Amino acid sequence: MRTLPELFDVRVKARAIAYLFATGAALGLLTVAVPHPSEVNDLALVLLAAGAIAIAAVVWVSRDRIREWHIHAVLLCGTLIVSLANYYAGPSTLYPVLYMWAALYAFYFFRLGEALAHMAVVGVSYAVVLAVQDADSELVRWLLAVGTPLVAGLLISRLLGLLSDRAQQLERSEVRTRMVLDTAPDAFITLDREGVIMGWNAAAEHLFGWSATEAIGKTMRELVVPPEFADRHDERRNALISSESPLATQHFEVEFQRRDGGRFPGEATVSKVDIQGEVFVSGFITDVTERERREAEREALLREQAAREEAERVAELVAGMQALVDAALAHRTLDGILRELVTQVRGVLDADAATIYITDESEQLSVGASAPGDVIGGGEFANAVAAAREAMLSQGDVGALVGVPLLAEDEVTAVLVARATPPREFGGEDLTLLRLAAERVGLAIAHARVYEREHRIAETLQRSLLPDRLPSLPGLDVAARYLPAASEAEVGGDWYDVMPIAGGAVGLVMGDVAGKGLAGASMVGRLRSALRAYALESQDGARVVERLNRLLWTEVEENQMATMLYVIVDPAAGAVRWVNAGHPAPLMITGGEPRFLEGAGSVPLGVLPFPTYEEVSAPMNPGSTLLLYTDGLVERPGENIDDGMAELAARVREAPEDPDGLCDHLLATLVPPGGATDDVALLTLRNLPVPDQFVADFPAQPESLAPMRSMLRRWLSHAGAGELEIAEITTACGEAATNAIEHAGMSGDGRFEVSGSRSGGAVEIAVRDQGSWREKRPGDHGRGLDLMRTLMDTVAVEPSPEGTTVSLRRTLGEGGGPDGRPG
Amino acid sequence: MDDLVEVQIEQREGDDVVVARLTGELDISGADSTGQRIAEAVPSSARGVVVDMSGLEFIDSSGVSMLFALARRVGSRRQELRVVAPTGEPVARVLDIVEFDKAAPVHPDVDSAVAEIA
Repeated sequence: MRTLPELFDVRVKARAIAYLFATGAALGLLTVAVPHPSEVNDLALVLLAAGAIAIAAVVWVSRDRIREWHIHAVLLCGTLIVSLANYYAGPSTLYPVLYMWAALYAFYFFRLGEALAHMAVVGVSYAVVLAVQDADSELVRWLLAVGTPLVAGLLISRLLGLLSDRAQQLERSEVRTRMVLDTAPDAFITLDREGVIMGWNAAAEHLFGWSATEAIGKTMRELVVPPEFADRHDERRNALISSESPLATQHFEVEFQRRDGGRFPGEATVSKVDIQGEVFVSGFITDVTERERREAEREALLREQAAREEAERVAELVAGMQALVDAALAHRTLDGILRELVTQVRGVLDADAATIYITDESEQLSVGASAPGDVIGGGEFANAVAAAREAMLSQGDVGALVGVPLLAEDEVTAVLVARATPPREFGGEDLTLLRLAAERVGLAIAHARVYEREHRIAETLQRSLLPDRLPSLPGLDVAARYLPAASEAEVGGDWYDVMPIAGGAVGLVMGDVAGKGLAGASMVGRLRSALRAYALESQDGARVVERLNRLLWTEVEENQMATMLYVIVDPAAGAVRWVNAGHPAPLMITGGEPRFLEGAGSVPLGVLPFPTYEEVSAPMNPGSTLLLYTDGLVERPGENIDDGMAELAARVREAPEDPDGLCDHLLATLVPPGGATDDVALLTLRNLPVPDQFVADFPAQPESLAPMRSMLRRWLSHAGAGELEIAEITTACGEAATNAIEHAGMSGDGRFEVSGSRSGGAVEIAVRDQGSWREKRPGDHGRGLDLMRTLMDTVAVEPSPEGTTVSLRRTLGEGGGPDGRPG
Repeated sequence: MDDLVEVQIEQREGDDVVVARLTGELDISGADSTGQRIAEAVPSSARGVVVDMSGLEFIDSSGVSMLFALARRVGSRRQELRVVAPTGEPVARVLDIVEFDKAAPVHPDVDSAVAEIA
């Protein structure tokens, strides 16, 4: 790509040559038109000279504005003067002057070829002019004088055409350049030496908000340089312009001002441009706000990284310092801490024995730990230490003894003593180390005490939340076990519950709260009481669990969750229904064969705001056993839970059928010796096989009637009674039982007994109480007895001093009662 | 259980007829309170009360006594008592044995009972 000055140069030359030939033609005309010098008009000469001088003066004055005129005018005047001189003096004498001028011309252009061509044309022109001065024909003189330079001009202009093509190319190139500059992403600005704006591209318009038409002709100071930087701006420009180097460049960052007054940091690259003496300044300006922001961000990032590295280094250091204490704290119990500590101290001091004497919470020295193996206790603290010291001293060979107090909250809680058998001196370093250990361990002891206290509270709380006595349920046998994890772990969040619900059914709950310790235990408390309340209100298990989830989701602190199994056993219907919130599947054991009750599985409580819980049911026949458990029973570190479940099923197959025996067998075979890593809770319910005979006794209270009927219905069903028979016999027995309750009166602590047996095709039921028989109950009008007599084949009332027995008998399968019965 | 029997009260035919729907099991533990509930739910302006026992699973003589007492009480206020117990169900069988229809009519469904009063 060509540079601007070069472009300029070619165009100047092209025009210069054209002017030159025009001048030649004018001279030719002059020569022909004006007579010989002797006859010349003095006035015409003066006018010619004056005209030449005037042209030269005009060109000189406007030299800056119309640069090329300057060159052409000088050449023109020079040529004119030389031609005139030649004309007067006679061509023969002034040829050398002419050629000298041509040489100057050539020198100016630095192009020998073109210069020679110019000289040739000028020479030919003069030769022809001189030749035709003596021509005979007037017309020929005119034609030759004017035509020759013109023809020569045409020839040269042909030559110039080539140059002109080149000029056009250059012009296109210039347009391209301008377009490139215009579309450049950076502002490109051109200034003259006074700072007046000459060029202003599209990016500059965009950057500063001034259009090119507005900007051109104004100064940078007026538009974009903030006032406080204006002087600096001028200084910088002057320094650039006055620089010696033609390619001087400045690179600087400075604040600029937009049209709207907003300022931004800009980066400017400014160059001095010198085109044949015309000096101007061009520069690119870039908005570096974004770049500075990124740089600041990167710097911040680097600082942050450095800070983090520093923090990590410090943390590592601290971690190293804490190693000793951490080792002690790994054993959460106080005893564990002390044992760990004496072992370490003994090792570090290279002592033969180390012992800790410690006060208990009542300031009594009661616990000691030592390595190896001594346990010391008893007595008032100081005396005990002294005594222990004596004991220590008297214990075999004591070469050296050293001791430091252990402080917790400025109180001496223990004394740490180390003993060596060979005589040696425990030095200052040993003492410092011992003190250092004592300081930290004193704190650890305090923490451990707080922890143990909390642990005890949590344990007590949790125990209080488990039913202390399982309800006795007719026809059902229930057993439960709770085995806390090995002593050093926190109190777990396992819980179970058994509650009778409406219609003779019983609700079983087995749950595992994610939190441990005090928080976990209190959460179990909330869930347990809420569940009991909801279960009373709704028979729909899924709804109960959904409400429980809602409670956990909305009211309990975040991140609390629990798995839970809610099972409703309905012995009368011979069915079990269950809802599973992320808990291990319960196990149904029928005929000694265990089967996991899959299905109905959903997310644990507290995970989703609106999860869907589903109630699924399965038959549960008399003789079947249901087993609920927590994952502590089947999960062992490093083992697949499926293996644990398979193991559980295998152990169940070999276990006895009764719930207590089953629980004991499972704990004995599945919990590793030394305790489980997690809490284990077990709950089993056996739907007892219905015997041919039964005896059950109940408190003599109205509330006993419903469970009695429930039990009776089951037994009757087992005994082969039809639906209507069950209803009728139950009604009759209910009357007998109601009598028994009435007989017991207000004392409330009496009981009544119901027994049943099947013989042949009949059932016999006896209701025995401790009161005296009355024919009619208050408000009864004898209807109770009427009902019994109508619904049963025989009714016998046997009063005795110990109480009354009502015996009822009915033959089954006769399709209806004896008398008073329709159809 | 406290809630062995449940009572739901409903007004029919404007305020003319009160329908008391019993569900669960009615024995001596809930008979008195149930009778009380129903009696209190019947305003003196009403023409009568329907005790709907189609959803009742069990009734014994205590429940029956409660119904007899209710019939007397309603009658003394010149109001009508009608009882609903679907034929063939254990409850209807018990009402049949104690000849409750001598105290108040027994209907197989609620609508016919309400229609009779209104």
